[in-house]
Amino acid sequence: MLKAPSIRALVVLALLGALFLALPAYVGAYGLKFATRMIILAIFVVSLDFILGLAGLVSFGHAAFFGVGAYAVYFVSSESEAANVFVALGAGVAGAAVAALLIGAFVCLTRGFYFIMVTLAAAQMMFSLFHDTDIAKGSDGAYIMIKPDLTIGATTLIDFDNRTTFYYVCLALLVASVLALFWLARTPFGRIVQGLKANETRLSALGYNVYQFKLAAFVVAGAFAGLAGALFACIDGFVTPELFSWHQSGLAIMMAVLGGAGTLFGPILGVLAYVSLEETLKTASLVGSFVADHWRLGTGATLVVAVLLSPDGLAGFLRGKTVPKKVEPLKDVMPAAAPRKARALATRDLSKSFGGLRAVDGVTADFAPDLVHAIIGPNGAGKTTFTNLLSGAFRPTAGQILVDGENIAGWPAHKIARRGVGRSFQRTNIFATFTVEENARIAAQAETPSVFRLSEGTARENQIAKVAHALSVVGLADRAGAVAGAMSNGEQRQLEIAMLIAGGGGILILDEPLAGMGPEETRRVVELLRDLKSDHTIILIEHDMDAVFAVADTLTVLALGRLIAHGSPDEVRRDEKVISAYLGGHAPAQGKGAPA
Amino acid sequence: MSLILVQILNGLQYGLLLFLAASGLTLVFGILGVINLAHGSFYMIGAYMALTLTSYTGDIFLALAAGIPLAFLIGMAIEWLFVRHLYKRDHLQQVLLTFALILVFNEAQQSIWGNYPKSIPMPSYLSSSISLTPELGYSVYRLALMAICVGLALLMMFVIQKTRVGRLIRAAESNPEMVEALGFDSRVLFRVVFAAGAALAAAAGMLAAPVESAYPGIGERVLIISFVVVVIGGIGSIRGAFLGSLLIGLADAFGKVFVPKFSSVLIYALMALVLVLRPNGLFGRS
Amino acid sequence: MSANSLLEARAIDAFYGASHVLRGVDFRVGRGETVSLLGRNGMGKTTLLRTLMGLVPARGGEIRFDGDDIKGRRPSAVARAGVGFVPEGRGIFPNLSVEENLIFAEREGPGGRRDWTREAIYQLFPRLLERRANWGNQLSGGEQQMLTIGRALMSNPTLLMVDEATEGLAPMVREDIWRTLRLIAERGVAIVVVDKNLDDLKKLCRRHVILVKGEVVFDGPTGELAARDDFVRSQLGL
Repeated sequence: MLKAPSIRALVVLALLGALFLALPAYVGAYGLKFATRMIILAIFVVSLDFILGLAGLVSFGHAAFFGVGAYAVYFVSSESEAANVFVALGAGVAGAAVAALLIGAFVCLTRGFYFIMVTLAAAQMMFSLFHDTDIAKGSDGAYIMIKPDLTIGATTLIDFDNRTTFYYVCLALLVASVLALFWLARTPFGRIVQGLKANETRLSALGYNVYQFKLAAFVVAGAFAGLAGALFACIDGFVTPELFSWHQSGLAIMMAVLGGAGTLFGPILGVLAYVSLEETLKTASLVGSFVADHWRLGTGATLVVAVLLSPDGLAGFLRGKTVPKKVEPLKDVMPAAAPRKARALATRDLSKSFGGLRAVDGVTADFAPDLVHAIIGPNGAGKTTFTNLLSGAFRPTAGQILVDGENIAGWPAHKIARRGVGRSFQRTNIFATFTVEENARIAAQAETPSVFRLSEGTARENQIAKVAHALSVVGLADRAGAVAGAMSNGEQRQLEIAMLIAGGGGILILDEPLAGMGPEETRRVVELLRDLKSDHTIILIEHDMDAVFAVADTLTVLALGRLIAHGSPDEVRRDEKVISAYLGGHAPAQGKGAPA
Repeated sequence: MSLILVQILNGLQYGLLLFLAASGLTLVFGILGVINLAHGSFYMIGAYMALTLTSYTGDIFLALAAGIPLAFLIGMAIEWLFVRHLYKRDHLQQVLLTFALILVFNEAQQSIWGNYPKSIPMPSYLSSSISLTPELGYSVYRLALMAICVGLALLMMFVIQKTRVGRLIRAAESNPEMVEALGFDSRVLFRVVFAAGAALAAAAGMLAAPVESAYPGIGERVLIISFVVVVIGGIGSIRGAFLGSLLIGLADAFGKVFVPKFSSVLIYALMALVLVLRPNGLFGRS
Repeated sequence: MSANSLLEARAIDAFYGASHVLRGVDFRVGRGETVSLLGRNGMGKTTLLRTLMGLVPARGGEIRFDGDDIKGRRPSAVARAGVGFVPEGRGIFPNLSVEENLIFAEREGPGGRRDWTREAIYQLFPRLLERRANWGNQLSGGEQQMLTIGRALMSNPTLLMVDEATEGLAPMVREDIWRTLRLIAERGVAIVVVDKNLDDLKKLCRRHVILVKGEVVFDGPTGELAARDDFVRSQLGL
């Protein structure tokens, strides 16, 4: 998750801040305009970093919102009178936010390659809209006759026509924007936004509607881009469809990555570096006329080299020394008892087909509350598909899934999670870049998964208690500060169970929780499962037969997608069908282990 | 009536050219897993190669014969120099590097050929028009262009469905690791696929040059529309690219007549519609 | 390396992400020899096969095949040197027909051997002949497994590495796979098998290797395996 900048970075930023504060006293009109442009660009690129670096969404159409912000100022300005500064900038922010909401509603349906292409296409559509039609004088661009100002009574407090005033307004807004986005990233909302980048699947399995969070982050970033656009329109008082150009979006990504995406301050350095590079390459007296004539070749080539050599950007050089912080082991506190969200699970004729293959074929089974139910069967028997149906990762082809009698078949994963069904994954599925505590925190926060939670509010104490309790229970209380991705496989699997406990689901589906664990860890998890069943219904998929027989109250055997036995371990052990189909003539207790 | 016929022909012609460009883009996605923003630059290079090579050889078809292999070689060089470093990197870095390549290509184009649009002569023997209906004539070159595009599309389908290279391509699409474990050097395969995509895009640019001339920014226009085609058709699907291209070609042709100012917007609206109805495109895998 | 070694790996280390999966593994296979690779879940069996194949980089040690150093070579080079690979999960090409899957891998083996042709594969697996026009994804699990084995043989390997070939198959089909593997071994192809069914492995393989936590804890012939039954059962978790 987003860390506060290191001391070294703060020093650099403070020096830059001082430099920019003093700048108007030393440079002429051209220099001031140049600096203003750079500051506005920085607001734009920092806003991009919010979705690009923090949420991990590569938007190639961010200029769309920059352009909308600029045009909004044009629309609210009249030819005879200056627009109010707040109206002008407000219109830019609001216009861009609305555009981001409309465009985001489509693009947030997609991911990966599609997201990149669709955001690019959306921005290009905006370009066409302003370029091909007569809106705001079409391809010629349009002038804002009188720049916005702030006049109260007869005194003009702020006049954007005054270059120095305007410069300081921009500088102040840059600082405010960075601080605001930084603050937002540290709220519960921001935590989930960063979770999007770290592990989207996990988020929805915890009960978060990822679409809403993506869209919200997209709108936030769009609104700040709109602010930058609105300011940009006030530099020359001129707006043109080129503001929407996809080159603009591409350069913004360049600068964000060059400076260090995902840090929120790195992009400022990226802007400075890129703009300085461009200026230097354009200056014939510095680089010779040949290079200056072909400066684009130089910037392009420099960027190619930068991408290939340095994935972390300039902010990487300003990273503080990573001294692992000593974290006191969390004290186990019992969180306030919450009403149990779900207890009993059952399936009726549950089926799933992939093409012609019936991976799960008419499974009917009842899983009574507060017991451990193990599901076993050879690989390819459909166990994981079965759990994916229960948790909503796959949509059933037919049949019902009943949680306390309510049919949840076909619900999206996040809704099922909110109904009280938590799951772990066959391959460990955590937020690798988050600390152990932050992982558990995201799970605990899922009790109120609404989008705009900007403060922890009254739930804070209880969430912290839940986190402490869950981590203590699985034995990770002393590892709270460790980065999850750097822990051993066994510890990561324990963390997954802690997340389920903190998430508060009443029904827990554990897909091979013991895979890759040593004997000591295995014993501990088996103990833990015994404890947990006092107030959880547990569905356990496991290959380790010793563990299964040690902990399971019922056994369900799947083979080729069908349920071939369901009952107490002893009954199943003696079942002829099980012995021939699954255990292949071996006595049950010596059944196969698990895949390597 | 004849207006509609002309627009159908224009739409098909545009769509077929788009298909040549978009099929390479979708193949490179599907097999190499790389999002190549510089793909449009190959189209641009094609258009300008048509200019230069036609001036040497005197004929666009001779230029084509020389230009396609040349584009293939350029594609191989670009893959070897830059793209191969991207296979294990994330989308963001792919986007960045290929975007930077666009800047380089654009500057190279302006340095070599300048900023002004250049027209490329049609071969004299095809510059006439034939009458489709008593009152309607249509350029013979455009018809020939369509025939060549159809020929290239069929050739590509044949290669993919029936030849050894095609089997490799299809296998690599589903399981590149297994292709490697069965003794095929995937580096070679990737280079060939990338170069073939580049050659197809350049071929489209060359064929189109006598009709639409060569000008700066031509490649980016094609790139963005190719993205729309790929989104509509579904990533990695040649069939989807074919259908998407024709759809976009026709939508563009009719949009220009009936809603001239909104014809571009119409195309994006079409994409948005497909996206809502089928988020993975018409032929995309979920 | 000893004169009749086909594959000889010494002191192999390998990592999966951050975890150290193989720790100084020694592993050898003689010409025409059949060796089983045993161990519980997560002990490194699959990683060992993938490392030998070149799909996972070996960090230390050396790997020689047929006298050549193959450590650090690309998987394709290892395959061309004569190693056939049947991965866990089968890895058939779903968008190629059965026949295309086979033709795909067709090649001369080391020394120009062409023992395995399509006809030979169809003789081995008559089911595949019936289904040769079907797409890969239209096959049952057993048929897919046959196809993967047949496809690996089409490259005329001198060593066949088989990972969990009977996993998830019905008992009858499993029996079929085991019989076929024995036939292949009789034709002189060396085989390394990862599987869970100890009894079947004893029938196929002359030598057995047990991995525990990425280290070899047992390497001996079938007789010794039977003699140390308690130790073996405890190591395999039976």
